[in-house]
Order: sequence, then structure tokens, then C-alpha cells
Amino acid sequence: MRTTYRVLAYLIALEVVVQAAALALAFAGLVHWVDGGGVLDSGVIEGDSDPFPEIVGLIMHGINGGIVVPVLALLLLISSFFARVPRGTVWALVVLGLVVLQVMLGYSLADVPGLGAVHGANALLVFTAAFLAARRARVRRPAADDVAAATADTPV
Amino acid sequence: MRRRPRVLLSTGAALAVLGPLGWFWQDSHLPGTWSVMDMGYTDTGGGAPEAHAHGDGGVDLRTLTADPDRPADVSVTLIARQERFRLASGRTVDGFTLDGTSPGPTIRATVGDLVEVRLVNISVPDGVTIHWHGVDVPGAEDGVAGVTQDAVAQGAEHVYRFVADRPGTYWYHSHQHSAEQVAGGLLGALVVDPSPSPGSAADVLALVHHYGGVATVDGREGDVVVPATPGTRVRVRVVDTDNGPMWVWVGGSPFEVAAVDGTDVHEPSRVRDRALLVAAGGRADLLVTMPEDGSPVRVHLGGRTGVVLSPSGRAPAPVPRPSATVDLLSYGTPAPLGFDPDAPDRRFDYDIDRRPGFLDGRPGLWWTVDGHAYPDGPMFLVSEGDVVRMRIVNTSGERHPMHLHGHHAVVLSRDGVPATGSPWWVDSLDVADGETYEIAFLADNPGVWVDHCHNLPHAEQGLIVHLAYAGVSTPFLIGGPTRNVPE
Repeated sequence: MRTTYRVLAYLIALEVVVQAAALALAFAGLVHWVDGGGVLDSGVIEGDSDPFPEIVGLIMHGINGGIVVPVLALLLLISSFFARVPRGTVWALVVLGLVVLQVMLGYSLADVPGLGAVHGANALLVFTAAFLAARRARVRRPAADDVAAATADTPV
Repeated sequence: MRRRPRVLLSTGAALAVLGPLGWFWQDSHLPGTWSVMDMGYTDTGGGAPEAHAHGDGGVDLRTLTADPDRPADVSVTLIARQERFRLASGRTVDGFTLDGTSPGPTIRATVGDLVEVRLVNISVPDGVTIHWHGVDVPGAEDGVAGVTQDAVAQGAEHVYRFVADRPGTYWYHSHQHSAEQVAGGLLGALVVDPSPSPGSAADVLALVHHYGGVATVDGREGDVVVPATPGTRVRVRVVDTDNGPMWVWVGGSPFEVAAVDGTDVHEPSRVRDRALLVAAGGRADLLVTMPEDGSPVRVHLGGRTGVVLSPSGRAPAPVPRPSATVDLLSYGTPAPLGFDPDAPDRRFDYDIDRRPGFLDGRPGLWWTVDGHAYPDGPMFLVSEGDVVRMRIVNTSGERHPMHLHGHHAVVLSRDGVPATGSPWWVDSLDVADGETYEIAFLADNPGVWVDHCHNLPHAEQGLIVHLAYAGVSTPFLIGGPTRNVPE
């Protein structure tokens, strides 16, 4: 379970990277498309087809952020109950809370564009929290190492 | 000994997290087949809670038709196909055609005509229907799969009959898998001419549709050049068949907004350098006066396409969208409504919001109407002859073009500011996020009418409720053997 916890936490951190990359890809595709004469209006935004191929980044961002990451965060919380990671549940709750905040920000930023900046910054908090949670669940070296290390530090 | 309680505690915590989620998930599953009559809860709007008939002694919606003995004045056959086809512009598109083309043939009638349309499904596997968008047809002819008819299966056909009783610009489209089929081109225009024909103005249809992200006017891309005589007036019938609203403005001439959603504006004033927002699903007839000196005029349709009215064939330079707008709330002059909206028999709230949850087992952020997600929203119950007032409040974070079938409603106020212009009659009303509209209508068309967002993917995501008349029932079912999927 400890491994499960660690893998889930690292996956969430990795997802933050994927999310940033996907968004940058979509934005680059948009700029390239507009350069070539494309016009973005609500007819295109509300349309069901893809004006340029890199828009797949935006679709991925939506699916990942709206479903995959929240599910991973939820699974992390559940695994924390069994994983015996020191303060593992607390860290899983922090990750889940930041993810929920992130999703809410994501859905609100069309309303209040300034929240886009918070969404971007909060992504780094999700990454950091997930990474720290994963680090807490590192598989311990055989006890002898710990003992040796402790012994070495012990003033004689 | 310590291990056992710990495992129990962990399992308990996991169940405490998963249990409610599982329950919400399970609870959100839709049955395979259901009647819209049984959906959600009944909202009587403060009126009498008449027995809501379920077939016993009530009026069967199928009997609400035009006079069956009257011969048709306009007869049309529409052949529906799912295929790869070529637009007028030459571009090849995977989608849907009617009579081999998309947009389908323009149906033209004179006011008072009985229009009879035979719909034949040759090759659309999911089935098709035709909804007469903006025409207040009899209850049986509305073309909503699972509500007013069964979807027309491949190889089958269906006949629609209605009297085109109001002159104006309308359109038609499938209401089976509508989000997919309308985007794919299963649509066309319906124009009802007044009688006698005014004759003075030239008439140009401008049906705007995006195919695969490409903006078109009547299937053509870029500027559509139409010859026009200097000094004459040209009626440009703008139809927005897409899921988003469209700004329309005119470069090179003043114009009037002669009609909105198939209803003439009362005493429209001539405006210049102003833009008009046409709701998704909505229509606007612009009356353009051609300059005497023979210079051309461009009617800009959403920024990427336009109609160029030109005596010489020469196109004028595009002009940017003016920041000033034509606000229909104060455009034109008042006229009688035909009923008193200040003495309503029913008052309904249509509050649009959204919240996280499950819809048919799928997690997401789903639309709610009056706090209820699909299919638990309200059914607005009216009796024939009722004056109905409805307040639409949108706090959902997105714009919604609201479309009530079978009726035209008049806008009373927006954000508390009363309407002061011509009666603003709508069938498709663009409600931006944060806006509140008060509308009123006369319940004069018995039936079961859906009232939904015409950003069709939103309707697919549950932004749809219905208006039912006391005593009227429908035998049709969503789902069922004919796989009716209206959205």
C-alpha cells in the first residue's frame, strides 16, 4: 500500500507536468493557426470540431484536470488509510484540497480571468504537495542502514 | 492485536469516502426508457395543480395536428442521408444531408399556407426528426424524438403538417441526436412570406453554419456576393444555426432590424455603425438601404463571413465590429402585446447554475435548473389560456441561448431594466452569465414542449426541461425501441 501511495502521489505530480505541457501545446497551436489566417470566435469555440490539431492539448487538459487528477487524488486519500505513511492522510488531504481548488479555479476562470493566474500558481502547489507526499512514502532501506547511520551520528 | 482495529479503521475511513460517492453515482443512472411526463417534479407556478393526465381521459398529443382534411399548399420531400458530401464552397465534409445538400433546401411558403413535409430517412443509422425552429406548430408536429414522435428509423418516413401562420424567417433541424446531427448539417431554412408580398425589397437568405470549424453562409465560404440595385432596399435574413451567438454589423450603409425570431419589430429605427447580437438558433432580418451612388455594402456575419450587396460585383473593405450595439430592449417603439403580463396566471423561475456530480454515472460539472440536475428538473405545468411569466437567471458561468418550443415569449426586462422598445418577441434568447431576464408568453398551444439551451451540447449535458399543458399527455418515450435521443 505504501508503494501504491507513492506511485499515486508521483502520478499526480507528473500529471501537473502533463497539464502544463498540454496547455502550452494548445496555445502554440492556436497562435500558429491564427498566424495562418484562422479566426477564433464563439462559433468555433462552441463548435464541435477541431480548428487546429494542437487543440487536442486543450481537450486533454480538460479531461485530465476534470476527471483523471481528481480520481487520482481520491485514490491517494483512500490508499493513505492503509499505507502507514507518516502523516500520509494529512498530505493526501492537502493534495485533494488543492486539486479541488484547482478544478474550481479552472471552471471559474472564464468568468473571472484573473483566476487564471491563481490557477497557474496553484498548479505548482499541487505539484509540490504531491511530490512531498510521495517522498514521505519512500521505501525504507533495510533497518541496518538506519541503525548504522544513527550509530555513526551518535557521539561516542 | 493492534493490527485488526487499524485495518477496520482504515476500511471504515475508505468506505466513508467511497460510500457517498458510490451512492451519488448509482443514483445518477438513467433508466433505459422513460417518459418526459415522469421526469423531475411538477412546478405549477402558483396556478391550479390540475390533474396531470397520464393518458386516461386526457388529450393524446398525437391528436394535436393541423386540419387533416385540408390539402397542402406547399409539399416538400426531404431525403435524409448520413454521408460525405460537398459544400457549395467545394469543401468536402462528413455529415448529414437533406436532398443531397447541406444546408437542406430552403422551404418557402406564403403566410396561411399549409406546409406538408415528408421526411424520408435513407441512411442515418441513429434515426432523424425535423423540428421547425421558431414555428409554433401544433403539438404533434414539433419533431422532438421521444417527446412528440419516434425518431424516423433508416428506411422509414414521417409526414409533418402545419399552417405557416406567421410571416418570417425560420429554420428546421433534426431533434434526434441533435447536438451531433445539427452540427453535421441536418438543417435548412424556412421562409414564410407575407401576403400580399411586399415586393419592394430584394430578399437574401444568410444561413450561417460552421462545418468542421469553417464558417459558411448557405454553404459558401468567405464573402457571398449578391447583386443589388443602388437606392433599393434589401432584406437580409440572418439565421444563426450554430451553438454560439453571432455579432452582425453592416459596413457602408445604415440598416434597420426589421424582424427578430420571425416577428416584425414595431417601428424599427434606422441605425448606423452598430452591431446586433443574434442568439444561437435565433434569426434577424436586416433591412439594408443600398447607397444611391452605387457603392457596395457588406453585412458582416460573425467576423469571418459576410454577405456583400454590390451593384458592380466589387466588394468593399471589411470594417471592424462597432463597439456600439443595437439593444433590442429599447429598439423600436411599443405596441400592444395581446395579453397583460402584469396579471399572470403562473410564474416560473428558470434558474440556471451548475454543480459537480454525476450524470448517468459520468462525473463532471453538470448544469442545474432550479437547483436540480437532469433528469430531476422542474416540469412547468400550464393550462391553455394562461398568461405565464418566467424569470430566467443565469449564474452558471456560461452563456445560454434559451429556446422554448411551440411559443414566442416577449421580453419584459433584463437585469431589472424594463423593456421600452418594440415588443421583443423571441423563441431563442441569449442569456449571458450573470444576466436575469423576465419574459412572458400566452399558453395558447397545447402540447408537451421542451424548453432548453440551444447550445446543443449543453442540452445534451442536461440543460433541458419541459412545459406541459394540463390534460395533455404523450405516449412517446425517451430511449425505447426506437432509441429516441432528442439531444
